[in-house]
Amino acid sequence: MMRIFQGMDLVSVAGFERVWERHEGFTEDIFSPLERAHCMSRKNPAIHFAGRFAAKEAAIKALGLRAGASGFLSGFGDIEVRGQGGGKPVLHFRGWAARMAARRGIVQKTVSITHSGNYAAATVILLAEPGPRQGREPKRQ
Amino acid sequence: MKNEFITDERIFQELKKAIAETLRVDEDVIRRDSSLVNDLDAESLDFLDINYRLEQVFGIKMARHFVLEHVEEMFGEGSAVNEDGLLTEKAVELLKIRFGDQMPRLEAGMDMDEVPALITIGSLVEGIRDILDALPEKCTHCGAAQWTCEDGLRVKCASCGEYAVYPNGDDLIQEWLKKIQEERSIF
Repeated sequence: MMRIFQGMDLVSVAGFERVWERHEGFTEDIFSPLERAHCMSRKNPAIHFAGRFAAKEAAIKALGLRAGASGFLSGFGDIEVRGQGGGKPVLHFRGWAARMAARRGIVQKTVSITHSGNYAAATVILLAEPGPRQGREPKRQ
Repeated sequence: MKNEFITDERIFQELKKAIAETLRVDEDVIRRDSSLVNDLDAESLDFLDINYRLEQVFGIKMARHFVLEHVEEMFGEGSAVNEDGLLTEKAVELLKIRFGDQMPRLEAGMDMDEVPALITIGSLVEGIRDILDALPEKCTHCGAAQWTCEDGLRVKCASCGEYAVYPNGDDLIQEWLKKIQEERSIF
């Protein structure tokens, strides 16, 4: 039977903007040049950055990578949200995220991003092939 | 070299200040054994904000990557986390050396994403201490070996006045892993 890993996240756009304004280099640390170019080309970049941030966090949760405070950017730089120009967003993993996805047998991934008012949210669903992995499923939020 | 200019208590106070401002909580509720996740309800954006604030206060670069990422990079796939995302015995042995008594509930087979909840304010203080204690012997700008610190936060060269440049947190983790592996051959 295929296995499903899910993650979701909700981000306050105002909260995101506060961190962005306060810390130089924040978006460079978190987002790829492609993501930054896309978000900065939009009328309200903060909404789009916040949506992509939510997508990355949702993917991190789905992969079980929440390493948190010790190594505080773990995962963020390894997950890219592609698919601009009104198209459906697509997740691309590299580095640590790609290695963990391969190890878990992830064969398909989907992401959905939405924003309304002061909030942006995203869900990520990862589909993994059946295999010998019989361990406890990751705890999800 | 050991950084005698900045005390552990000062690091703790600055950390409390950064957390209180980010999470909008009273400094009095923040203790050394508080968990940022379980006790203070910090979210991922909060983690980033707190870390960036600390970088600015002390003029340091915190580790961008979790210690277990470095372990797998250096010692091979599956050395720290198995295919179900669970911590290996070797990873737990290593984390116990690194965090000591700060993470008493750490155990092999634990889900990797349960680890953040175990991270306490005390373990963050130690992480900052490690970087500050990597103060170079000599100023990287002028080569003088004379440091000074007027505010208990930022160390300056007494000769040219430039701020001290510390090694970044990721480089220090890698150096530490090499040392531990040489001493104990865990992996």
